[in-house]
Amino acid sequence: MSVSFMLLQIDFKSGKPVYLQLVDQIRYAAASGGVRTGEPLPSIRPLAEELRVNRNTVAKAYAELESQGVIETIPGKGCFLKESNSPFTKSARQKILTKEIDEAVVAAHHLQVDRDAFLALVKERLDNFERKVKEKSNND
Amino acid sequence: MNTDTPIIEIQNLSRRYGNLDAVNGLSLTVRVGKCYGFFGRNGAGKTTTIKCLLNLLRPDSGTARVFGLDPQKDEVAVKSRLAYVPDMVAFYPWMTVRDTLEYLASFRKHWNSDIENDLISRFHLDPKQKSSHLSKGQRTQLALIGAICPEPELLVLDEPTSGLDPIVRREFIETVIGAYQSGDPGRRTVFVSTHLISEFEGLIDEFTIIEQGRNLLTMEADAARDRFRKIRARFSQPPAQLDLPGALNVKQSGREVEILADGNSEQLLEKLKARSPEELRCESLSLEEIFITSSLLKQSA
Repeated sequence: MSVSFMLLQIDFKSGKPVYLQLVDQIRYAAASGGVRTGEPLPSIRPLAEELRVNRNTVAKAYAELESQGVIETIPGKGCFLKESNSPFTKSARQKILTKEIDEAVVAAHHLQVDRDAFLALVKERLDNFERKVKEKSNND
Repeated sequence: MNTDTPIIEIQNLSRRYGNLDAVNGLSLTVRVGKCYGFFGRNGAGKTTTIKCLLNLLRPDSGTARVFGLDPQKDEVAVKSRLAYVPDMVAFYPWMTVRDTLEYLASFRKHWNSDIENDLISRFHLDPKQKSSHLSKGQRTQLALIGAICPEPELLVLDEPTSGLDPIVRREFIETVIGAYQSGDPGRRTVFVSTHLISEFEGLIDEFTIIEQGRNLLTMEADAARDRFRKIRARFSQPPAQLDLPGALNVKQSGREVEILADGNSEQLLEKLKARSPEELRCESLSLEEIFITSSLLKQSA
């Protein structure tokens, strides 16, 4: 089984570069168990056709994921999710996460979601995520 | 060829028909491996530009270079490396689908028969069918097969999907992505003029909007979607005297306001927030919306 195409959705109105949307969604799928270590990702061509995005955009997303250590390319076989022990140091991981949190903080500011509501939402999403991971592992 | 040589380079191109300036000082550059969108209203000069690239028309002034070559002087060298699908395709009516493809292949040094057979079956074309009996969609599919099988470095598409049904349009675009772009990855260049911008949205790396023969806007697609944003705000009372400098357009209807931001969405959002809106949303414009909005750029310029 490979990661389902249905997990991936492009939103041109998000203002985020298309390849980064793919990077984020595949990283999320990897972190939440939507795709597991050693499982293949869709090949570039069918994924590009399915999403109707430029082949180079998918290739760029996969190259980015490879440089982040999320996936590895085995020549002639395709791209696979790597062991989840992240090659990044703790501080590097926190730096990546800080950037993402900053984006959410700015969005919350614009939407006038105050500190308490924001923190409550973060907690709720964390709970939700952990519940999903648990369900996944229970199903194995 | 030097890898930095642009695939298409147009500088200050002009072409008149009598008193009409169809193309009037147009410049643009298409780099290798990109999918370049060429957007414009009817009569903006898109087809005239494309015909200058293919030496079907001669420019009055300025230059058009393809693969770094002059299409007038090196017509065969240029044409042997590209393929062209116009909006109206015509074939010899007495030839069958197979005859037509064999005829097209006879002009080419290279022809990928595997792709030919794949696409014929994908499009459910009957090789024995006479081309005069094909529907408009089938004729376009046949033209696309003829354009892709030589595996050219450059694919020039002029309104390729206009007048086709949605399923044929979708297949057309998937074929360009799959069968064309996947060979020789990163080296296949597409230059597409189209009105159906939303369908090509995911394919476009960079685009030019042409108006009255001039370049109105050239941008990378991701950068353009970052720059042009639509802000919607709802207030508890109809807001009076909203001061929104630098907004491309402001529409107000009662308590709701819609604002088009041109690279200044952050400042505009701050301004609006100071008025304590009940709701505030911000989203990027699609390329099609940017195309429609681009006429406002001209007015404000």
